[in-house]
Amino acid sequence: MPRNFSGAVGFDVSVEADSDAQMMLKVAAGDRRAFAILFDRYHTSVARFAFRFVGDRERAEELTQDIFVKLYRNAKSYRPAAKFKTFLFRVAANHCLNEVRRGEYRVAHTTTSEREEEEGGGVELAGPEGERPDQALAAREMERAVGEALKAMSERERAAFTMCRFEGMAYREIAEALEASEAAVKSLIHRATLAVAKKLEELQAGPVPVRSRA
Amino acid sequence: MSCGYEEELTAYVDEELPPARRAEVEAHLGGCSGCRGTEALLRRTMEQLAGLPEFSPSPDTRREVLAKVEALPLPLRERLLALLRPAVLVPAASLAAAAGLALYATAPSEPDLDVLDAGTLELAMNLEVVEDYDVVGLDRSEDLEVVAHLHELEEVQ
Repeated sequence: MPRNFSGAVGFDVSVEADSDAQMMLKVAAGDRRAFAILFDRYHTSVARFAFRFVGDRERAEELTQDIFVKLYRNAKSYRPAAKFKTFLFRVAANHCLNEVRRGEYRVAHTTTSEREEEEGGGVELAGPEGERPDQALAAREMERAVGEALKAMSERERAAFTMCRFEGMAYREIAEALEASEAAVKSLIHRATLAVAKKLEELQAGPVPVRSRA
Repeated sequence: MSCGYEEELTAYVDEELPPARRAEVEAHLGGCSGCRGTEALLRRTMEQLAGLPEFSPSPDTRREVLAKVEALPLPLRERLLALLRPAVLVPAASLAAAAGLALYATAPSEPDLDVLDAGTLELAMNLEVVEDYDVVGLDRSEDLEVVAHLHELEEVQ
């Protein structure tokens, strides 16, 4: 798959998808153990989506909690005809979009990066083990550039981009999750990817030199 | 970048275009340096995104979510269904039958129904309904709790 998919999980996707649907039916019948299994399978994906959407770790974790509680409470509305992950991301996207529009969760990508620097550069995100300091710095700067690009785009572009680039979802699945046409999703993802590309190009070009006053 | 194919390039790189359209874009790329540049930029960007630090949620999130879900009351229907499982009712009915026999054997007069647990009577009264449900098994503490509070459920209804 050409897109970036950091949500790698060590299981057969098709088998697991069937199992997800069965688990969700059990959740609808009030089975909390089935809910815990689905939570373990998907909470990292949902938290990652929420984090990219709001740009703040604490808010992302609050949103993740809300999304899973909402999933449990509305389990009866799930129909096995829909892929579970698509259903979950519809719940997640709606919740994040509504919360941001309500103003409760301000998108704070840049603020987070600045706060991390003020607190001594303690990056909240885990880089690969054995990463050199210069690599860690480069990753942090790239994180900040991507965060700024995400912040500047529309909410639907951000949601579509995040599902595509960080969750590896197909355009059709994203269209279902966002209740949009595939053509619209194609356009959202294209604009968002170009916006991120532009930011990363700026980062690589380095700071614009200050013109001498002399 | 005003080329008419430019809008298709991200979907092309993502392998999301139908075969015929994909072939058209490929043919176009051969003769359009602007689109080739954009394609290269998109591919480079996607590679860079793969190098972003991973976000890992706090382990506390699991505990907090499961606690919130655990605190939610089960819907009344689920509680009643849990009570109507044969695994609950058969032992309860056996108990009721045994209690009834014991009363009959030890008391020559009419048995005093007050000595029977209200919940057991409720279960016994629903034996006809019970036969329609599959055996699921009583292995959860919530089920036992609901059995213990059957009379409260009755009041709520």
